[in-house]
Amino acid sequence: MSYVLLAPEILLTVLALAVIFIGLLVSDRSKNMLGYISAAGLVASLVYVLGTKGEGSFFYNALVIDPLSQFFKLIFIVVSLLAVIASIKYFENNRNQDEYYALILLATVGMMVVASANDLVSLFVGFELASMSTYVLAGFEKKNPASLEAALKYFIIGSLSSALMLFGMSLVYGVTGSTNIPAIIEFFKINPASGLDVIAMVFLVAGFGFKMALVPFHMWAPDTYEGSPSVVSALLAAGSKKMGFVAAFRILVLALVALRADLWVTFAILAVITMTYGNIVAISQRSIKRMLAYSSIAQAGYIALAFVVTTQMSIAGGILLALGHALMKGGAFIAVAVVGYMVLSDNKNAKNIDNLENFAGLGKRAPITAFALFVFFLALAGIPPSAGFIGKFVLFYSITVEAVRQASTWLLIVVVIAILNSALSIYYYARVIRYMYVLPPAGEKIKEPTPYVIAIVLAVIGTIGVGLYPQPFIDMAMNAAKVVLGV
Amino acid sequence: MFGEISALIVLLPVLAFVLTLFLGKKLYSGGALLPIAAIAGSFIISLGTFLEIYPDGMVQQSWPWFAGMNIGILIDPLAVVMLMMVSFVSLLIHIYAVGYMAHDPAKPRYFAETSLFTAAMLSVILSDNILQFFISWELVGLCSFLLIGFWYHKPSAAAAAKKAFLVTRVGDVLFLAGIVLLYVNISEIIATRAFSIEPGNFILQFKTMFEAAKLIDPTQLTLITLLFFGGAVGKSGQFPLHGWLPDAMEGPTTVSALIHAATMVTAGVYLVARTFPMFVATPATISAGVPDALLIVAYVGGFTALFAATMGLVMNDIKRVLAYSTVSQLGYMMLALGTAGAVLGAKAVGISMFHLIAHAFFKALLFLCAGSVIHAMGTNDIREMGGLFGKMKITAITMLIAALALAGIGFPFAGLGMPILNIGTAGFFSKDAIIEGALEYGEVKGDMIPYGMAIIAALLTSIYIFRLWFMTFTGKPRSERHAHESPGVMTRPLMILAIFALLFGFSQAGFYGYVEKNFELMNVEIAVHEGEAFHPSPIIVMLPVIVGVLGILISYAIYNRRMLDMSKIISSGNPIYKLLLNRYYEPKLAADIIGVKLTHDVVAQSGEFIDRKIIDGLVIDNIIGKTVFQLGELVRKLQTGVVQNYASVTLLGLGLLIILLKIRFGGI
Repeated sequence: MSYVLLAPEILLTVLALAVIFIGLLVSDRSKNMLGYISAAGLVASLVYVLGTKGEGSFFYNALVIDPLSQFFKLIFIVVSLLAVIASIKYFENNRNQDEYYALILLATVGMMVVASANDLVSLFVGFELASMSTYVLAGFEKKNPASLEAALKYFIIGSLSSALMLFGMSLVYGVTGSTNIPAIIEFFKINPASGLDVIAMVFLVAGFGFKMALVPFHMWAPDTYEGSPSVVSALLAAGSKKMGFVAAFRILVLALVALRADLWVTFAILAVITMTYGNIVAISQRSIKRMLAYSSIAQAGYIALAFVVTTQMSIAGGILLALGHALMKGGAFIAVAVVGYMVLSDNKNAKNIDNLENFAGLGKRAPITAFALFVFFLALAGIPPSAGFIGKFVLFYSITVEAVRQASTWLLIVVVIAILNSALSIYYYARVIRYMYVLPPAGEKIKEPTPYVIAIVLAVIGTIGVGLYPQPFIDMAMNAAKVVLGV
Repeated sequence: MFGEISALIVLLPVLAFVLTLFLGKKLYSGGALLPIAAIAGSFIISLGTFLEIYPDGMVQQSWPWFAGMNIGILIDPLAVVMLMMVSFVSLLIHIYAVGYMAHDPAKPRYFAETSLFTAAMLSVILSDNILQFFISWELVGLCSFLLIGFWYHKPSAAAAAKKAFLVTRVGDVLFLAGIVLLYVNISEIIATRAFSIEPGNFILQFKTMFEAAKLIDPTQLTLITLLFFGGAVGKSGQFPLHGWLPDAMEGPTTVSALIHAATMVTAGVYLVARTFPMFVATPATISAGVPDALLIVAYVGGFTALFAATMGLVMNDIKRVLAYSTVSQLGYMMLALGTAGAVLGAKAVGISMFHLIAHAFFKALLFLCAGSVIHAMGTNDIREMGGLFGKMKITAITMLIAALALAGIGFPFAGLGMPILNIGTAGFFSKDAIIEGALEYGEVKGDMIPYGMAIIAALLTSIYIFRLWFMTFTGKPRSERHAHESPGVMTRPLMILAIFALLFGFSQAGFYGYVEKNFELMNVEIAVHEGEAFHPSPIIVMLPVIVGVLGILISYAIYNRRMLDMSKIISSGNPIYKLLLNRYYEPKLAADIIGVKLTHDVVAQSGEFIDRKIIDGLVIDNIIGKTVFQLGELVRKLQTGVVQNYASVTLLGLGLLIILLKIRFGGI
């Protein structure tokens, strides 16, 4: 087995250590270059992931490389790359930059390990690596109480969820005698459901649901996304959230099929509550980061629909929406960072910098950012041609097909609720768009910093590019969905 | 080599659009050089592609897009001649616009939009499937809206833009319905295993459509082609959707030239030419008692040619005369497809396209000459012009050439059996062939009405265009304005176009031979009427030219010599004159009756009534909206910010999940 396939993980780990080491040697001012080095490493990993087609398994089948892992690695690397590029400006001249970039890189490695994990132990290790790094990142603005509060809440609820997940894993091990995922599934196929294994699955759902921010495991998300530095919020909402999905795809779908446990009602209820809750609460938010957090919860609800019917197409739709969400939400949080930069350059002691009022006349003050936000919002609402549209379209279509096939009114109702939710979400997105383009600007035009512009433009290109030319991504997602279903 | 990079034909102007839009302000002349360079690039690649694929090659490239659809490039003879024409004429118009728009502050927007407009049109031409064709077609419509309303602060321009957008929308909806119907039909014959798509082909590609056309139910096929034709009627300003075209004159004259000569309006004719095999596949339906789609094309075309020419006779706005002339000439192109298509098969496409391209040259020339006159005089009204010949020699002479071309002046030596070439302007060659085709159709089918309409329209064409020329350039000046010849950047494109208007006709034989092969290359057979060779009498051959010359003489007599005092006819309230001047009351009908009375008063008002009184009334005071808000506020309070509560909710949720499972599966 050639370890070359693990080159991105190896590269990023080495790079993270190197970044810390370089940070020890150079002066505080030269630390600005670390952002560029990290971005270069991520680009190299991205090219490698996109360019290699091989599959394989490593370390006694604890890690696998397959279309599913590669698709999610693509998402993780892209999000980290966007966050790192934006951080070049956000953390410019910060003397702890070395730790910051090392942590982002390690978090990325953690997420990539989760994407590849084929064993409960490697899954847990990956989860924890990513979580520990992001706990620190969320509180990286040490002098900002909101950031500290965000980190602390994230840490406490995160630990609780890890405990639940670990408990679920230990139950699984107790029942099956193995931590290897294919072995577990084989066991479930042969042996009748004992009851305990279904409960173990529920604990896993709770653990993954924490990362996905599914209601009722979502409580930490709005506080954390709001309080964290915007670039870290981008990483959390767009990247680390998807860890929960890839883990759930990897183990839950097959396990539940093997257990013949028909959980679709449970997932339908979770998904519907999550999306409706997210959208309704988002409406009354004045803080844009909080609004984005709730919209993120709503999007998780849409993606969770993939578990309701578990056909190849619905899973592909969920995966596509995960990709779309990574681009749109990552871009949106970075755009909010630009607004923060703008507000702070007006007034150094400004509070509530992501308040809706600060977006008034953004179209005149920061035209690129405003246009990008406009694109991200329309994409999040599912308007074509965008990645958000493609994901939702494939997902909703697949459920409709299944509803017709099974002649199930309930499934149709689920789709209708999802579509109504999309319509509802347009309200709060359109409100921000109105502020940006209709209301008069509150200050002078600013020069948008280049790193932000690069990150935002990349995200816009990705969002629209996937919408305009979806076929390769649909194909990739379909291949990944094949892995999920084990065919 | 050019074939492989043919995607750049579209991408270069798109790139120029983006760059000009964002950077135009900082560049020379509003960034005009970017679109000019890009379109010159498109032209060079088109020309190179032509030289590569001539005489019997094609460029085909295709990439899967989604769900069985594709994005692709098809450059066959039909497409390559259009590509060369559009990029070339658009290039000249862009160069001319550097002078014409010199004083406009919004130049970057202008050049960005015209560049996108050209890109969209080029993309229409090289689409290899009907979906991409439609998307580009819509983009053309959007750009025309933006450009016609370029001076949006003028209410008339804003209204004209809206009208153009709405009227062409009627056609677009029909076109889209046609595409949907086609898709459904093809899917159906695939489902019944009567037809299958070869690997590498896609469902809405033209190839597939042509193959499938033979298997589709004839009634459905006729309906599809008529819906396509509906789209063409909207875009090409055919009766009854012609009203937007003359109003579109509200934009800058260069935009008018672009819309009328090179892009947009020809898209409709191109659509019919492109899907011609489907139209020809329909005569089988006559036996089924369904009207032949080609017959409808012929009649709509012929009627439009005549109808628009009558209005051209009385217009006083120099650009409006040209606008009606465009409508009328597009009618000729449709007529050619309809009549010659029924008897000559694929040759009809050659005849129609030849007129399309000849027309592009002389109509662009006419518009740019008109622009030059307007630029000099500061007015559009020909009643205020006169005697400009001495002051604007280049414009006057080039416009005379264009007028001769439009009137179709020449001499058919070969047609009379003489052993020398026909000699004449581009319009002579192209229009003669159309009228001859209509005649042959009449002989074969025993239906001379299209021919009659074509001949009368030819007479009127000649009258109205020379009325324009005589009133503008001869006689005494009728106003105090001081005219001057336009700068070189404007007159040079005129001279180049004049050369084409004069000489393009001589490529006729080669052009027909080349474009005719178009569908053979795609392995599509088109039935040709078998019969004896057709030899009309000399007088018939001469008739189009005779009416052309006659028209010039009539105009000369009335508007130069003043042998007949038109003012009496005008002032006496002549009903025919009034009818024509009011454009058959079409704007009134469209705006007041359909627009205001029907759409606004009936449909919109009742919609508002239902929305406000019934829907909002039923859910008193917007209950749904308010409930959602209140719910949001309520749920927001659950988010206490206390981390202990968060943990409790998490565990509570876990507990609920387990209980749910217990209820569902029992006995856990």
